[in-house]
Amino acid sequence: MSATELEYIKPELMACCGAREIRDGDLVIVGTGFPTVAANIAKYTHAPNARMMQESGVYDAQPKRPALSVGDPCLNPGAAFIGSLVDVMGMFLQGGKVDVGFLSGSQVDKYGNINTTAIGDYHHPKSRLPGSGGANPIGLLVKRVLIIALHDKRRLAEKVDFITTPGYIDGPGARAKWGLPEDQGPEVIITNKAVLRFDKETKEAYLESYHPGNTVEEILEHTPWDLKVSPDVHETPPPTAEELRVIREIIDPMRMITIYLKRGYV
Amino acid sequence: MSKVMTMKEAISRFVHDGDFLFIGGYICRTPFAAIHEIIRQGKKDLTITRSNAADDFDMLIGAGVVKRFIATFLSLGVYGLGRCFRRSLEKGIPHKIEIEEYTNLSLPMMLMAGAMGMPFIPVKDMVGSDLLKVKSFLGDDKYKVIENPFDGTPTLVVPPLKPDVAIIHVQQADENGNAQVWGIEGDCKWGANAAEKVIVSCERIVSREVIGKDPSRTIVPDFQVVAVVEEPFGAHPGYTPGFYDVDFMFGSLYQQASNTEEGFRAFLDEWVFGVEDRTAYIQHYIEKFGYAQFRGLWADFDYGYPVSYAY
Repeated sequence: MSATELEYIKPELMACCGAREIRDGDLVIVGTGFPTVAANIAKYTHAPNARMMQESGVYDAQPKRPALSVGDPCLNPGAAFIGSLVDVMGMFLQGGKVDVGFLSGSQVDKYGNINTTAIGDYHHPKSRLPGSGGANPIGLLVKRVLIIALHDKRRLAEKVDFITTPGYIDGPGARAKWGLPEDQGPEVIITNKAVLRFDKETKEAYLESYHPGNTVEEILEHTPWDLKVSPDVHETPPPTAEELRVIREIIDPMRMITIYLKRGYV
Repeated sequence: MSKVMTMKEAISRFVHDGDFLFIGGYICRTPFAAIHEIIRQGKKDLTITRSNAADDFDMLIGAGVVKRFIATFLSLGVYGLGRCFRRSLEKGIPHKIEIEEYTNLSLPMMLMAGAMGMPFIPVKDMVGSDLLKVKSFLGDDKYKVIENPFDGTPTLVVPPLKPDVAIIHVQQADENGNAQVWGIEGDCKWGANAAEKVIVSCERIVSREVIGKDPSRTIVPDFQVVAVVEEPFGAHPGYTPGFYDVDFMFGSLYQQASNTEEGFRAFLDEWVFGVEDRTAYIQHYIEKFGYAQFRGLWADFDYGYPVSYAY
């Protein structure tokens, strides 16, 4: 089988898209699932000096299986540092040390604002979601935010029902009004159909690449705003043999990543 | 003087209706024995707080003992959204709790401010979000935007939190309450030291001499503590590093049960009201699922790496 014909599942491709955004030496704050897999792919391929931390107080954990929560027992043995939320969220994150944060949400809009609080009216929610947790401070305080989302008209929105975690809020200049550095914020939205990147001027997400098997037309149809298409739009490069080897042999031999298939990441 | 007592006595003496409770834990060291005892004793109108709440807070809300929740997040982790939490906020079952929402940065900082006696604490989160637009029982005291006295820039400040009682579960404590942990801490240390009184639930009571072998592990000193309860497996179905693992089977059981109001009631009848204390709970677990399942949760034994404080 040639490298271009490797078989893979969509969640593996999405994790690789996340990994490719991580640079060598980055400090990355991760949750569970995609972020951990993505950050580890980077660490085992092009970014051996990337280091991860969890908001629960852990830095440079050495888990023997993918963590199922940021408080997972497998994060304890072998970590370089275990402290408290005040240490990681207060000292490292608020202290401005963290380069990359991964976030996901039930609703994500074109400015990269994320809703994890409530669908519908806040006071009479149609669906009550968990709340911010660490998302809001991560979104506001890391240098580059990578967003994972399902690509449909329910999950992507022109405007989220509730801004739990601000992206570029309502466009250019909005972050500066709140004293936030203009050059920080959402970098990409990685969906199960495409990679959307944020325009440096308009702060709106545009179509950068479509995944193999998906088309520009299909993506436009499933995006609820007037999605701009990059003049350089191209197919997302599929996972390499090495990326797949790292996922399957080192990071996730139990194939826990397949649970994302059931969650619609196909 | 020994502060050792049963959980029943600790909760009945020190937790009162209407109290403001900090309840520590982060899947790691959740004080579940205390949670069940609070429900058994039918406490009312509690205000509860901690960062990243999970199944234990969901259960307290479903059981109807909570009036107010100073929150950042509540979910069942891999098992999805908190069913009781949703029923309360979406449908008012058993009643609609009042919720004041912060984040996993601001809330631990507010507990730290409480512990340190600060009048308020500046934080860099929440700006630009709708979290600033929604205010509940704290009203305008949820936060303030002030002028930074040093450079004049607008600065978000949040109030200190000072709970009436903190309940934490730790690996070991002495009979006066010097409490030691290892592993993921969440906001335990700040939450406990912010409170007026601390109830320490522990896997084992050790001598003061053992505490002194590695004093850096102590997160709460005895003078903060009013009760010490030896409660092996006290964090189940959560985990305690060095003692036992997360019980994923039981997490799934709770998810299934709490899917419906009836299922949740039946769960409480079986696992909370149907047992007298933690010992009976463990006994019931072994009878129902077998000793092998119980034994399978135990942590591997490891002598660890001794530290020396010699000079």
